[in-house]
Amino acid sequence: MRLRTCLLLTCSALVGAIGILESGATDVFLEATRPDFQKIPVGVIGIQNAGGPEWLGGRLEEGLKSDIRRSLVFTLVDVPGLGFKDVGTVPNPAFKQAVEGGASVLVWGKAGLKEGDKDADISMEGFVYDGGSNEVVGGKRYVGSSSVARLMAHRFADELVFRYTGEPGIARTKIAYVSEQGAARELFVMDYDGYEPRQVTSDGFLNLMPRWSPDRRFLVFTAYRNRNTQDIDMIELATGKRWTMVSLSGLNITPALSPDGNFLAFASSYEGNSELYRLDTRTKALQRLTTHASGDLSPSWAPSGRELAFASDRSGGPQIFLMSADGSNVRRLTFEGDYNAAPAWSPRGNWIAYVCRTPKKEYKLCLMTPDGQRRVQLTTGPGVDDSPSWSPDGRHLVFSSTADGKSQIYMINADGKDLERVTFTGVHNSAPAWSPAS
Amino acid sequence: MRTTRVIWYLPLMAGMALMVAPGCSKKAVQSGGDAQSSQAGAASADKGTGGGGVGSNFPDTTLSNRDAGAAGGLRGLDAVGGGKSPSEERVTNGTMMAKLDPSQSGRQMDAIRSEQAAADAAGLRDVFFAYDSFAISEEGRQALSRNAEWIKANAGANLKIEGHCDERGTSAYNLVLGEKRAKAVRNYLVELGVSASRVGVVSYGKERPFCKERDEACYAQNRRGHVVVKTGK
Repeated sequence: MRLRTCLLLTCSALVGAIGILESGATDVFLEATRPDFQKIPVGVIGIQNAGGPEWLGGRLEEGLKSDIRRSLVFTLVDVPGLGFKDVGTVPNPAFKQAVEGGASVLVWGKAGLKEGDKDADISMEGFVYDGGSNEVVGGKRYVGSSSVARLMAHRFADELVFRYTGEPGIARTKIAYVSEQGAARELFVMDYDGYEPRQVTSDGFLNLMPRWSPDRRFLVFTAYRNRNTQDIDMIELATGKRWTMVSLSGLNITPALSPDGNFLAFASSYEGNSELYRLDTRTKALQRLTTHASGDLSPSWAPSGRELAFASDRSGGPQIFLMSADGSNVRRLTFEGDYNAAPAWSPRGNWIAYVCRTPKKEYKLCLMTPDGQRRVQLTTGPGVDDSPSWSPDGRHLVFSSTADGKSQIYMINADGKDLERVTFTGVHNSAPAWSPAS
Repeated sequence: MRTTRVIWYLPLMAGMALMVAPGCSKKAVQSGGDAQSSQAGAASADKGTGGGGVGSNFPDTTLSNRDAGAAGGLRGLDAVGGGKSPSEERVTNGTMMAKLDPSQSGRQMDAIRSEQAAADAAGLRDVFFAYDSFAISEEGRQALSRNAEWIKANAGANLKIEGHCDERGTSAYNLVLGEKRAKAVRNYLVELGVSASRVGVVSYGKERPFCKERDEACYAQNRRGHVVVKTGK
């Protein structure tokens, strides 16, 4: 505990200093992602397979390493001199040597069948050694069915992040998305790293643009089940129970629940063209937010819940606008380019991601600060990028892109680094929405 | 490294995208569709919706204090000094997924097939649009004149206009653009003397493309006001 506090103080001091030093720099500065020396070097000795299925240790180790790397809190360092023989007596000279070689934290574990368990549950133990205090500072032991093996590694990774930052981590988060199934588009939910995809709807027709409730229990989305309207439905993931929230005549699209869950913002064309509305999920009272003879859509809540970013073509092509959550104080945010849409306000509040059309007519991701002072193009190259959605820690974005041909889902750091493809199966995956942290 | 792969893997695609871009950027500046209601402020749930409205029985989604814990369900590392073992924590899949109920599956597709068959039988014609535009071309007007004659001659029939878009642009904005295209088609039919009540509209944005290749010939097929005969309710 003492160590964590100490590290946090050090980190914020460093971040403060960097902020001042680089305030005039032209490249991207993102508090959470930028300076490498802010990251804590972790050496993973391994996850020893202790009598489990052949794949067990390796799969958990691979998952843990990926989680540690993607946390952006840590950086993975090699500890070639260390093996499972060294973890028996801790601390030991080999650990000290690894620390001198640059690893601040060492992690290891073992996984196997739970002893004497006839249901063949598996277990995983993980341990954390901290070079600063030269001691094993903690451990975890997990048991569960083999189907949740990866989840054990995810939980352990999140415990690591929590211990060193006080944040819950993202390794247990999920991504909801739309996947083409024959002529239909259905909702799916997968782990944040693309594993364990599960189908959520089976309407046999269109389900679009899912968004999470803040407690992760529900998805809200546009469904074409009804013949004459495109409704906004809500589905409970644990039960599959489904409700219609909005079935105004016409197109009801781009739902977004406020960070406190009290309001659903969405676009509906029921009074003529696409306008923004706000539905109180407690009283079911409906309030219209915009009045304009052009299309308003894609509301995205500021983390404070006091403001909304949205797309509107009131200036010609679509542009990003901001307004207060009651519809007042509308102002235009984007002026560069003739097509800016699909805004997503970061959970830290400091950036708004959106789809920007470049001078080459490519649809890429851009970031802009809510004061309009800084703009960054995040992705480049061919392919239509769409539907940016932030990780709850504000360090990553997930989005869809046709860069590899068909639409698939990708993840990228908020500083534009570490682009990685997340979905590899299916012919068309789109509209990803990153869940809140659990 | 992966970045590099993604960016360089399909230079051909980039070339094609660049080739088709010029001349396709005609902008649509005015609103499509119906006249804008000037009413602002509170909108009643059931206003002018023909039975639609706001659901009254869905659960409220307010985040309870229980959900807002900083640790997000983490219990913290256990102290393991002095050879102590960590306590055991059972892991279950936090987000349980319900079993799917496919009983309704395909109902919409069946309806769409019958609408399509009726449109084919009637010889109805579609309208095609320029990139980013919902303006109806001269060719489109001719197609719609023919459609208008058919519907005037078939008093019992109603039409449905599906608005479609190519894959470029965002999914959300293409739904709005698709609706503008569908309403532009309806408005022109109304100008030709067809009663507005006989023409429904629906937008599919870029979600139900006719053609799935990535070239302008295919994009042009997908920028469409697809005219079908409304069947059933």
